[in-house]
Amino acid sequence: MKRVLIDRLKPGMKLAKPVVNDAGMILIGEGTLLTGTHINRLENMSISSVFVEGTSGPAKTKEELIAELDARFRKTEDEPYMSTLKRIMKEVIEGMNG
Amino acid sequence: MDARDIRSQIETVDTLPTIPSILRKLLAVIEKPKISINEIGSFIANDPVLTSRVLKVVNSPIYGFPGRISSLNQALILLGLNVVRGMLLGVSVFEAMQKTMVGLWEHSLGCAIASRIIAKKKGLKEPEEISIAGLLHDIGKVVMGLKFPDEYALAVGDAQKSEVFMIDAERKHFNITHADAGGWISLKWNFPQNLVEPIEYHHKPHLSKNVPLQTAIVHFADIMTRAAGFGFSGDNFVPAVHPSVWPVLGLSDAELKEIIQEFEESLGQAEDFLLSDE
Ligand SMILES: [Fe+2]
Ligand SMILES: [Fe+2]
Repeated sequence: MKRVLIDRLKPGMKLAKPVVNDAGMILIGEGTLLTGTHINRLENMSISSVFVEGTSGPAKTKEELIAELDARFRKTEDEPYMSTLKRIMKEVIEGMNG
Repeated sequence: MDARDIRSQIETVDTLPTIPSILRKLLAVIEKPKISINEIGSFIANDPVLTSRVLKVVNSPIYGFPGRISSLNQALILLGLNVVRGMLLGVSVFEAMQKTMVGLWEHSLGCAIASRIIAKKKGLKEPEEISIAGLLHDIGKVVMGLKFPDEYALAVGDAQKSEVFMIDAERKHFNITHADAGGWISLKWNFPQNLVEPIEYHHKPHLSKNVPLQTAIVHFADIMTRAAGFGFSGDNFVPAVHPSVWPVLGLSDAELKEIIQEFEESLGQAEDFLLSDE
């Protein structure tokens, strides 16, 4: 569990403690996966941080990482040197632990 | 709007009421051409938030110093005046960065880390100075977002909707890019030459006359950060490496792999750093 400043929240983070108002009423429940709308609401409240789980959302599998890599390169992979860069990025992902 | 108009408007960005107060105070200090490290030190020490941010950045993977640096003086001595000036700008525009574009701070940190790693591999004497160029390379996006918040938000939305590069959306909406804006503001703020050119030419690295290697490093560090999918800088595509850069960098495949490996490891640590409390 980590305390995260409101302006560093990202959609998909999971609340590890509920957000309550001054009267103690629960506004967003524990375990909620934060959406952009939640984050906007939090920005307009007088609190500066909340508790979320883990470090930065669920860990991705290698296959997911590589699919995302492919998507990011799709505009430029035919340009000079880009296939080399992409191949080496892939090798590094394949070699990662876990 | 024509480019000259935009330039003069960008140059007045420090007079905006919306500019972070810490940045306004800082600019008054660092625009002096002859500032001493003691003056900067007392400026930082007078602001506890700034002090803690400076120490956080110094201890972050941006620098990769071994061990923990716990005093401001120690940090100032280690980093030197130029690096401290640049880093202060970086931490002072942090909020404005997040407002312009969620993820731009992470993108900038990633680019700072990649710049340092490449610079070290190339045996450059001041890898910390290049990492500052990486940290500030997209500062033009921040000043455009501060000066023209509505129009810039439209450009950001446009890049998303039409799936185009952010820089092309900027051209369409402003006839200029964040690299132009960044170059103008770095001249206005008296940045040293080894920052101005990497900022101004990080998308056209072949135009850098005085510091082509530094500019090539920041250009490629930006691409690496986007290839790694770390942070967000307006679009989700990896831009092409400018063909002139490859021979300037002169990296073998094996060296490139070592760089990317070290980069991915540092990014893992950077995530912890980003999410930890002030
Ligand atoms: Fe850029
Ligand atoms: Fe960038």
